[in-house]
Amino acid sequence: MINESIAYLLLNINKYYEAVIVHVEISLAAIAVSFMIAVPLGIWCSKNGSVSYSVINAFTILRIIPSLAVLVIAMPILGTGFVPALFALTLLAIPPILINTYSGFRNIDPSVLECAAGMGMNTKRILFGIEIPLAMPLILTGLRTSATEVIASATLASYIGAGGLGDFIFTGIGMNDVRILLIGGMSVALLSVLTEVSLTAVQHMVTKYQRD
Amino acid sequence: MIKKISRFGMLLLLSMAAVLLAVAGCSSNSASLDQAKENKVTIKAGSKDFTESLILGELYSLALEHAGYKVERKLNLGSAIVHNSLINGDIDFYPEYTGTGLLTVLKEAPKFDSKEVYQEVSAKYKEKFKLIWLDPSAANDSQGLVMSKRAAEQYQIRTISDLQKHASQIRFASQGQFDERTDGLPALVKVYGSFDFKDHRLYDNGIKYDVLHNDKADLAVAYTTEGELSKDEFVVLEDDKHVWPPYNIAPVIRQDIVEKHPEIKDILNKVTAKLDNKTVITLNAEVDIKKREYNEVAKEFFNTIK
Repeated sequence: MINESIAYLLLNINKYYEAVIVHVEISLAAIAVSFMIAVPLGIWCSKNGSVSYSVINAFTILRIIPSLAVLVIAMPILGTGFVPALFALTLLAIPPILINTYSGFRNIDPSVLECAAGMGMNTKRILFGIEIPLAMPLILTGLRTSATEVIASATLASYIGAGGLGDFIFTGIGMNDVRILLIGGMSVALLSVLTEVSLTAVQHMVTKYQRD
Repeated sequence: MIKKISRFGMLLLLSMAAVLLAVAGCSSNSASLDQAKENKVTIKAGSKDFTESLILGELYSLALEHAGYKVERKLNLGSAIVHNSLINGDIDFYPEYTGTGLLTVLKEAPKFDSKEVYQEVSAKYKEKFKLIWLDPSAANDSQGLVMSKRAAEQYQIRTISDLQKHASQIRFASQGQFDERTDGLPALVKVYGSFDFKDHRLYDNGIKYDVLHNDKADLAVAYTTEGELSKDEFVVLEDDKHVWPPYNIAPVIRQDIVEKHPEIKDILNKVTAKLDNKTVITLNAEVDIKKREYNEVAKEFFNTIK
């Protein structure tokens, strides 16, 4: 079985490379966009108790809509291909980062912040010098959760002509051909594991000061 | 000691099993006799998991119920497992396509004459699987290519040969399976020559008409009885060099059922006789475009033919 898969892979190697690149591109873009939206939003929520509840719940509810439904609903407005896929995956990736950023900031001991203010730090210095580093481990945990989810879900992009490894998976299912299915499935699994491992390494590096 | 006990235990088990079997045998015998007397055997109807197959499965079920049979519906089975369910006896019949039987199930070389295909599948199914093909429909749900009318008129494309000449101007919304299957794009390339499309992306089957409608592509893969084809914004291209075999519809049924209840043959054949392309497209359109329930549509149609 594995041998047949590899034979098919070698025969279609250009198609495969293209699919992997597209898959990684879509995933990276979705993770980057959601990171840029979710982190500032999470910080803002943690400073404004009154809005936090509604903002976080709003994104969590959007997250519940199946990505496939988002893709199809978004098609008349966003068209097909890369853009709607990015949109759906971003919706998927925001909540874990948002919630973790929020709790990261809320869990900071108030006395630490009081000390910093007492030492004469202004808000900007407290944010970048104290709060963000202290919240970083949780933010990164959120990022890891999002990233693995996005890579797995990016398969769906193939439904709307955006390409990616989903092309292999859905072709395999449609033809009842395990060779093709395995190529797609194994590659997505491998990508997820690689991402998880490398992000764990990053997290380890960033939080090194806590263990020294 | 242990050996003795286990031997004794085994004997006990065997004798219990024998008694159970005997009892079960008796009861099932008498049950089937009773059922035959009342002519109320339960027939297990199957179908595949897409609109047309669901409607047909329901239609045949209604006809059997009308004739006094009880029907247990096991519709909505995956295309990959439905044939095995029939062989295993989980279902007693389901509507199948002659071309699918020939190419996918029997894995024979493609043929292009409706009659020839039907004769070959019915002979080989009987011999290999003890399954009977009832009469085929006039309707032919074959593979095809569909274009938006706008693009077809712009480039003057009516046949697949025309398409091949203009391929470099056409955006193709394909499907993974179509690109790979031997009776898909590879077959076209073999007969018509290569197609160098301007754009070639894969989409899910469920959204291909939306993609055409929203002008995100010009050409898509079609099945020739799909409900959307009743709209005149879409045009099916003529397969002028006859690449695709016929896909006529017929119920495939277990031989033992037909032998025990020969009248089932006529009941189902009567339904199939009413199925031509136009009828099937209309039925599909009621479900896929007007978004009605397939069993409601089937019932309404059955009332007009019973």
